[in-house]
Amino acid sequence: MFFGKQNSELDKFADLLEEGVVALFKERGELTFSSPPKKTNHSIIEFDGRMRADGMEKFDNEPTYVSAVNFYANEKDLEKQKTLGALVVYVQQDYIAKLMRKLQYPPVDDESEEAMLDSCGTLCNIVSGRFKSEISSAGYIELEMSHFRNYRNNAFNGVDFCYAEYNLYEIEFQLDGKKRMVIEMTMGAVPKR
Amino acid sequence: MNQGKILIVDDSDLERELLIEVLKGAGVTNDFLQAKTGEDAIQLLGTRYKEICLILLDWQMPQMSGMEFMEAVVKVPAVASKSIIMVTASGTDENKKKAYNVNPNLAGYVVKPYTPDSILEVIRDFVSVKDSD
Repeated sequence: MFFGKQNSELDKFADLLEEGVVALFKERGELTFSSPPKKTNHSIIEFDGRMRADGMEKFDNEPTYVSAVNFYANEKDLEKQKTLGALVVYVQQDYIAKLMRKLQYPPVDDESEEAMLDSCGTLCNIVSGRFKSEISSAGYIELEMSHFRNYRNNAFNGVDFCYAEYNLYEIEFQLDGKKRMVIEMTMGAVPKR
Repeated sequence: MNQGKILIVDDSDLERELLIEVLKGAGVTNDFLQAKTGEDAIQLLGTRYKEICLILLDWQMPQMSGMEFMEAVVKVPAVASKSIIMVTASGTDENKKKAYNVNPNLAGYVVKPYTPDSILEVIRDFVSVKDSD
């Protein structure tokens, strides 16, 4: 059964996400990206009713950590898992510990799979929280947010998304002159307050 | 000065480590307890509630969220008076209102990312802080 409506303002939400991430990195670690983030609109690739989230294809088949958070219109929808949106963060394995240090987090044991997964989840959580605040500040309803889920290389079961929405935005962020982080975001129509 | 232990509840290991590092760096001398989930925190609170002077609580956690944890805590008279401060990535006014509705005695609300000064300002009255000089 379909839930929600297609979001005619998805590009605006991509702008909000980009602005939020740029501000967050600046506040958190005085970090500025090497070049303006690159946004592209893609069709969602679906299998078994979930959105495909493959990290390795973002970084030339290099090992990648992937973390995802879902958004919901309200607490009841969160309980029923009626998903309105998804945000997926991808960071190349070789860079995640360095990135977290740049963001002023304590050193990460880069030989611990658990610590690396946790790092990507922590990043996804602060990015998602910032995105949620940006959406609210732009006059939309307050969304509910899930906890983060972490994967290595790809989310093997996919990620929940709003079935009424066919598109996602992919945003590439460059640090030290290279692509270091990719964020995918999809969101069904979010009502104004 | 309160010499009790500070219970940090957050599903992110790195956020817990960061919080401890920031608080120690800011001169907080209390010891810390850690819980990765709301359920773990309930268990710790049930067995060690007398030791705990302050709870620093994340919102989004698997199974039992920070809000569900607070809803459970405020119903138990023995622990309802424990000081709780939310430390969360969800920083909107509506989220804050929701948190204060669930727990009118909520001692503070800190939004990630925080600075040492901003978090110290909120928790100072509940912990022990050594002088900087």
